[in-house]
Amino acid sequence: MSVAARPAARRLASSVGALCSTTSTITTTTITPTTPSSQIPSSCRPFSSTPPAPGRRKPRFRNITARDLGLISPASQKPNPYVSGEQVDRFADKKFPKYTNAEKAELMRMYTPEQIAALEAGEASIDPKDLTIQGRLRTDIYRLPYIDDFAEYQPIIDKRAPASRSKKIVPPDPNARFMNTDQFVADLIEWADKFRAGEPTGTLKRLEDFVGEEWKKVKEAQWPGEVRDGAHKEFKKYLQEEINKAAKQQENGGVVSGGPTDADVLSYILERSVMTDRNAQTQSSLALALPDKVPGVAGMYKAAVDPADQGLDETGIYQDLKRRSGMSVQGILKLQTKMLVMNYVSNQTRMGKIGSVVVYTVAGNGDGWVGLGYAKSQEPTVANQKSRLDAISKMRPIRRYENRTVYGDVEAKVSGTVVKLFARPPGFGLRVQHRIFEICRAAGIYDLSARVPRSRNPMNTVKATIEALHNQKDPEEMAMGRGRKLVDARKVYYGGATQ
Amino acid sequence: MGIHSVCNALSHLQNASRAQLGLTSIPNTKYNLRFALALHRAGFISSVTRAGLTPPPPDQLLTFETEPVTTNNVSTRRLWLGLKYYNNKPVMSNLEAVSKPKRLVTADYKQLSKIARGFKAGHVKGLNLGETLFLSTDKGVLEVREALEKRVGGLVLARVS
Repeated sequence: MSVAARPAARRLASSVGALCSTTSTITTTTITPTTPSSQIPSSCRPFSSTPPAPGRRKPRFRNITARDLGLISPASQKPNPYVSGEQVDRFADKKFPKYTNAEKAELMRMYTPEQIAALEAGEASIDPKDLTIQGRLRTDIYRLPYIDDFAEYQPIIDKRAPASRSKKIVPPDPNARFMNTDQFVADLIEWADKFRAGEPTGTLKRLEDFVGEEWKKVKEAQWPGEVRDGAHKEFKKYLQEEINKAAKQQENGGVVSGGPTDADVLSYILERSVMTDRNAQTQSSLALALPDKVPGVAGMYKAAVDPADQGLDETGIYQDLKRRSGMSVQGILKLQTKMLVMNYVSNQTRMGKIGSVVVYTVAGNGDGWVGLGYAKSQEPTVANQKSRLDAISKMRPIRRYENRTVYGDVEAKVSGTVVKLFARPPGFGLRVQHRIFEICRAAGIYDLSARVPRSRNPMNTVKATIEALHNQKDPEEMAMGRGRKLVDARKVYYGGATQ
Repeated sequence: MGIHSVCNALSHLQNASRAQLGLTSIPNTKYNLRFALALHRAGFISSVTRAGLTPPPPDQLLTFETEPVTTNNVSTRRLWLGLKYYNNKPVMSNLEAVSKPKRLVTADYKQLSKIARGFKAGHVKGLNLGETLFLSTDKGVLEVREALEKRVGGLVLARVS
C-alpha cells in the first residue's frame, strides 16, 4: 500500500539514483536524432516532401517535474476535480475503516476461525474505494427525497403492486352473449329471489294452490268450469287480503318487508349485466365515485406548508432550495434576480419542431454573492422559474476591492467572447453594457468599466463575466507564493484606512 | 549585448511553468544569469544553480558545490532554475517579452513611475495587479520597483506575473 501510494517518491528515488550513476558519463552523452523516415509505415506513400514530425520531441536537457519534487500534490493533476484520489482515500478510510484489534477480538469471541476467515475474505474482495465511488449517496438536485435501495414495496410512495397481489380481477368472459327473453326472465327471477322471502315475488300462493290435488298437474285450460271459477274466486280473495295487509303495514309506518327498494331497482336497471356472464362486471357508464377517505391513505398526506414561511410559499416552489441552501424563504425572496438571456430553440423531430425556451438568470444578494442560473423548458414561465432557482442555488462569493469594484483588470474568455473588466475609482459608476450591469448590480459592484472586444454573443458574455468575477486573483495568495510583502499603495497613502 | 537569450529564456520558462516542471534549465549566459537572479530576488523562482547538462540533485540544490567555469566545461554549463508553486498553482505563470531582438523598448525613470502606477507610458502598458516589469539598466537587471528606488530607467526586458 505504502509503495503504491507514493509512486512519485519512488520515481524521484529512482531518478536520483540514475543521476548519481550517470554523473560520470556526462561528457560522453550524445543526442541521437531519430530518423523520421523510419517512422513512416511502408504502406503509406508520403504526398509531401516535408519529412513528418517525429512524435513528441524529447527535451535536450532533462527536467524534473514539480510533482516529482513534491511541489504540487498529485491530486491536483487529476482530470476530474470532483473525484480526486486523495479525497476518495480520505473518505474511504473514514467511512469504511479496517477492523480494529478490539473489534477483531470481539469477532474471535463470536465466530469460529473458519467463519472469520470467510469474513476477512469477503472484506478483502471489496475495495473501499469502489464503495466510495460507486456506492455513494446522491447529492445532486435530482435525487429522490428519501434514501432507498428499492428492496421493499412501500404502498404510499411506490406504484401499485401487480394485480396478483391485490384483489383478483376476473377477465371478461369471451363467451358471454346478450340474453334472450328466457334468459332475461330467469336472470330477473334470480335477482328478485335475493330479497326476503314471502313477498311479491316467488312465495305468493299461485292459482294452482286453490284447486284439488288431482288438478294441480293439469293445465288451467283443462280444469272443469266450477273448479276454475272457484279457484279464481279464492285467488282473487287471497290477493285482496295480501294487498290490504301491505297497505295496513305501510300505514303503520313499517316498511314493506323485504321487497326491493327503489335504489335496488335503479341499480338493477343501471348496473345489472345484460350479458350471459353471470353479472361479472358492471355495465354502468358511470365512473365509480371515490370515497371521501381512502382507507390506509387518510391522514398520511400533509400540505407542505412550513409555518416558518409565514405564508410566503404556499405552492412550495422554494422548499427544495430552502433545504439545500439553508436560507429562509424570506431570505430567498429578498435576493435580486434578473433574467439576462432568453433564447428560443427547437428540436427537429419526426413529429415536427419542438420548441423550447432557454433562460439565463443572475441572482445575487447585492453584497458580494452572485450566481448564474440556466434552465430550459417548453414553457417560458417554467424555464424562468427554474433558472431563477438555479441561479440562487449557484450563488458564490466573489472578491471585491473595497466592496465596490474588482481587483485589478480581469479577463475571461468563453468561446469567441472575451470580457475584460477594469477596476475603477470610487464614484465612477457602472459604465458597462446592460447584461454586465445587471450582474454587477446583483453582485454589489458599483465602480467598473468593461469591454467585450470580440464576439458579443449574449449567452457567452454573461458566462464570461461571471467567470471573470469568480476567478479574480488573490493578492494574499500571490504575496505568499512569492514570499514578498504586497501593499495596497492606496491604503498606505491614506494612512492605512480600509474604507 | 543582444537580448535573444533572455527572450528565449522567457518563452522556455512560461512553457515550463505550464508543464508544471519543478527544475528546468536555461543556457548559461551572463544576461540570463542576471535575469534569473532578478527573478529570484522578486520571489518568482526558488533557486538558481549553475550545473552541467543533467539536473543537479534536487535535495542538494542549496548546498550544491558548483564547478568553477573553465574553458573545458563552459560549453556544458547551464543555469538550473527551481520553479515555485503555491496551492498547486505556479507562482510565475505569464512571462512576456517587451523588448524583442528586432525592436528594443526603453523607458526612462519618469515613464517607469507612471507604468508602475498602472498607467500607459510610451509603448509599455501599465502594470496590472501582481505584474512586474524587469529592466536592464546601468545597475544590472532590476525589477521595476528596484529601478524606481535607484531612479534609473533602461531597456524593458519582460513583463512577468
